[in-house]
Amino acid sequence: MSDKDAFMTRLGFVTAAMGQAIGTGNIWRFPRVATANGGGPFMVAYVIAIFVWAVPLLMAEMCLGMHTRKGSVGAFRDFMGKKYTWMGGWHAFVCLALGAYYSVTMGWAIKYFVLSITTLRPGVDTELVWNNFISSPWQGIFYHIISVAIAAVVVFRGVNKGIELASKFMIPTLFVLLIMAMIRALTLPGAVGGLNYLFNPDFSKLLNSRVWLEAFTQAAWSTGAGWGFMTAYAAYSREKEDIACNAFIVGLSDTSAALLAGMTVIPTIYALAPENLYEAIGAGNTGLTFIWLAKLLPTMPAGTLVSALFFLAMTFAAVTSLYAMYEVGIKSYFIDAGWSRRKAASVVVALCFLGGLPSAINVEFLNNQDQVWGVGLLVSGLFVAIAMMKYGLEKVRKEIINPVSELYVGKWWNWCIICFPAMFAIVCGWWTYQQFTWYPATWWNPFETYSPGTMFLQWALVIVIFILFNNTLAKVIISDEVVKTDVIGQPVKGGARS
Amino acid sequence: MSAGSIVTMIVILGLVWGGALYFMNIAYSSERKKAQTK
Repeated sequence: MSDKDAFMTRLGFVTAAMGQAIGTGNIWRFPRVATANGGGPFMVAYVIAIFVWAVPLLMAEMCLGMHTRKGSVGAFRDFMGKKYTWMGGWHAFVCLALGAYYSVTMGWAIKYFVLSITTLRPGVDTELVWNNFISSPWQGIFYHIISVAIAAVVVFRGVNKGIELASKFMIPTLFVLLIMAMIRALTLPGAVGGLNYLFNPDFSKLLNSRVWLEAFTQAAWSTGAGWGFMTAYAAYSREKEDIACNAFIVGLSDTSAALLAGMTVIPTIYALAPENLYEAIGAGNTGLTFIWLAKLLPTMPAGTLVSALFFLAMTFAAVTSLYAMYEVGIKSYFIDAGWSRRKAASVVVALCFLGGLPSAINVEFLNNQDQVWGVGLLVSGLFVAIAMMKYGLEKVRKEIINPVSELYVGKWWNWCIICFPAMFAIVCGWWTYQQFTWYPATWWNPFETYSPGTMFLQWALVIVIFILFNNTLAKVIISDEVVKTDVIGQPVKGGARS
Repeated sequence: MSAGSIVTMIVILGLVWGGALYFMNIAYSSERKKAQTK
């Protein structure tokens, strides 16, 4: 392992891990979902979800990467046995499938950063601006190319000089931008009323299952738990990187960023258009961000600056997640198979660029992919939990987590992982049931954007392909004992099967 | 802003932001100790 392919400092590792977690979902989804689900009760359910779902899963993923020093494919093979390699194939594929269209949404943030400087002024019809932009395939492709190029520069430079360096700069900058935007929002006349909605203490809503469902799904998707990032990044970490403390830092920093965004977005809408608060929240992620916020932000004093800061923060949040997605594929499929970084990065970037083109051209395709692979992440999380159970939860906790962690992790971690399949069944089962009731005539149709049929068909295709090529995949990934070295190239004692 | 909302906000922000700073401090202290012992 060359020094290019390892995190040299803990700060670098933690900021990169925070970067993978903090994405556009923190900024455009969390404030909307929190307010729509009662505010205070959602926050309580969300914090519980962070502690019982996201953090234990982040720890489990770090165990996979640190113990095997491999990306998802090699990690599942070495942790569970050769016949389970296909699970690692799925794990990394879902992340790449998300990366393919994520660059399109990052392109939207870049476009709106430019528009906030040049075009977005009070009185501009933002709905028309959005509709014109989204119906223009060439603009979609152009900004998709820019996003892919930015992330490509980072991954081509490697872990130390690319990911670590970029994250050390972008994550603190992102927090500064969010804090500046929040201070401006909270100093607007009447903005405090927005906080009243965001932290509304009507805890009777905790009896509503939907609040818990939304909180758990948001926590799972927002923290990157189950995505494979932590497995890939942990494989590049120093030999004895703290697992427990770092997992808590990632989970809580991600929630901190989401709260900063919530305390910016909701008070801004409440201060500038209180009568439209629920209409804006009901407009979906893109409607809230690119129509409502694009319309309201320029109307406040220093609005052009605040608008530019907001969309720049969103771009930074997106890019730190996008290069992490690429890295999962680069490490899991190619570097672990002995390819050079340049060759591996070229293939992954090209595949993700091509895979993202249909989403750049047609937003319905993007919505379809968002649903199929977004929910697919829960399956990835389930596979990680199964890997832990197969290896032995006590063994993982006593031999992998606690020896390297400053904090002692008790048996609560075992219980969280044991309960994961049940939590998965409840979340996925409830979601699927909803789809059946919402779309009784079309739920089976694989060509419907949001149908369970399209989701199950695409999942099945990918799983069948990886099962068919399971043995090939297991053989292609280089065995650990031969290549395992530390960050300065010295052989490291103890490997995947030590 | 109601008293209930203020209490909820303080508890949530205290737990999340306080928790994040607490774990960051543990990480920082640990790294400083390691650097001193080298």
